Amino acid sequence: MVIYREEYRLYNFGPDHPFSPVRLEMLTSLLQALGVWRAPLSPPEASREEVLWVHSERLVRRVEAASRGELSPDLEHYGLGTGDTPVFPGMDRAARVLVGGTLEGARRILAGERRVLQLGGGLHHAQYDRASGFCVYNDLSVAIRHMTRAGLRVAYVDIDVHHGDGVQWIHYEEGEVLTLSLHESGRYLFPGTGHVYEIGRGAGLGKKLNLPLEPFTEDESYLEVFQALVPWALKAFRPDVLVVQAGADAHYLDPLADLLLTTRAYERLFRLLLEYAEAYAGGRVLFTLGGGYSLDAAVRVWALLYHVFHGLPLPERLPEGWLSTWEARLGKPLTPTLHDPEGAYPEIPRREEIAKRNRLTLQRLTELVAPHLLH
Amino acid sequence: MLVRDVMKGPVLTVGPEVTLEDAYGLLLEKGIRHLPVVAEGRLVGIITDRDIRLATSHLNPKGPCPGCTRVEEVMTREVVTAHPLDPVEEAARVMRERKIGCLPVLEDGALVGIVTGIDLLDALLRLTGVTEPSGRLEVRLPDRVGELARLTGFLAGRGVNIHSLLSYPEEGEFVRAVVRVNTLETHPLAEALRREGFDVLWPPKKPW
Repeated sequence: MVIYREEYRLYNFGPDHPFSPVRLEMLTSLLQALGVWRAPLSPPEASREEVLWVHSERLVRRVEAASRGELSPDLEHYGLGTGDTPVFPGMDRAARVLVGGTLEGARRILAGERRVLQLGGGLHHAQYDRASGFCVYNDLSVAIRHMTRAGLRVAYVDIDVHHGDGVQWIHYEEGEVLTLSLHESGRYLFPGTGHVYEIGRGAGLGKKLNLPLEPFTEDESYLEVFQALVPWALKAFRPDVLVVQAGADAHYLDPLADLLLTTRAYERLFRLLLEYAEAYAGGRVLFTLGGGYSLDAAVRVWALLYHVFHGLPLPERLPEGWLSTWEARLGKPLTPTLHDPEGAYPEIPRREEIAKRNRLTLQRLTELVAPHLLH
Repeated sequence: MLVRDVMKGPVLTVGPEVTLEDAYGLLLEKGIRHLPVVAEGRLVGIITDRDIRLATSHLNPKGPCPGCTRVEEVMTREVVTAHPLDPVEEAARVMRERKIGCLPVLEDGALVGIVTGIDLLDALLRLTGVTEPSGRLEVRLPDRVGELARLTGFLAGRGVNIHSLLSYPEEGEFVRAVVRVNTLETHPLAEALRREGFDVLWPPKKPW
């Protein structure tokens, strides 16, 4: 089941902002041009009450005021009105529309649906008391909370290139939520967290996993550590459902990060995640989108996700009409194939050293969490 | 950042006549390593868990201190102290040079706090701004008037808030500036800085 509605595009920080609704417009038009688009389920927007499941009243009040154009002087303290997360008219509702989509996915899973793809959301930086990094409300955490309240154990897997800090902190002390984030190391990259030593507290101890990867990691090393870590953790945790934040910004074309994955790695990741859902979570999985700031790359990565999700054969070339329309509109050439061309970027000289460091980080992480996770 | 901003207080103390066994029990129970020794309201010494272990151990090259049973027989009497208004870097320098693990903090002769190596690590974390969601830029600047202003002015012009800024001298008349900024967009920012002529060390330039 796919969840989407046109109003997702209301979540718009302005024409020069990287978190652009144009991505959704390109993606849905591409799927239509490929002839695979099936009418999605249109979700209701989340209510104020539902947002308050994971956010503070005072944050929500400020978002609502900012939506009406009333700017309180302490906005920046709440992560709003910054260069990354500026305020715009109607912001509260636009964010609640995205939350509503992911929450609807959770409801459908509770009602017996197994696979849900939410073509939006993934706002993993939003914290209890603070908007952050393009994220106003945390749709993932609202959906996760809905499912844990119904008694489900939820495993959250975050492949966005940035650390899934908001989801981690909101559920940091919860034993029924496993969070697992693979990201480019926060030593340099936003938000700076996601260290292997952040492993949860109280009932959540050992159930918050972070694998910070070296810049320039590339496909091979990423897949190696992913396949070593994710099934191991899922097997130990025994979730009822997977929630996947499928950010596309680990791609080599992404302007904000340096992990250097290609579409081939993404295809493999999506297939593996579906396999893991079957093997460890009764087949139940809820995908959301997330970061992805190269229009060219993000749209192809998510089109791949859509095809793999539905078990559709992958097209090789993208439709000419679609390409020419968007090339004209964006004023630059686009990759004409669904997959990246071979050898698209120069060889990284430190490849072996990087793979070795990633292996060491994985080892450190598993040693740290094993005593708590395996019992 | 001053000593009073990072020190801990009130301070747990013992009298000089307390037995080593009792003092050690207190250190273990409270999970601390240093006990200032106070007599008649005045700081007269300091004793650490290591002092006690050494004094009572057969592994001590000089053998266990014969008949040592009380704190005053083992404590260090010349205590190095700090004032609440000392800058933290001053406290760090003293502790590093003397190779000691803490400084009792005195104000008008009264013990008002204690600062340990751990408190200085906390201070370092706060100084680097890593506790705020942020990205990190590293820029090499010529060591001369106005360069830092040029950098911060540029960031301000782009609407970027700076959570923290550390700078330290490098060899060859350069200063290294490490800036934590509240943006995901450190790459575009680095590119813009390069176009302005800044030597940005991180994030790196992608070769394509």
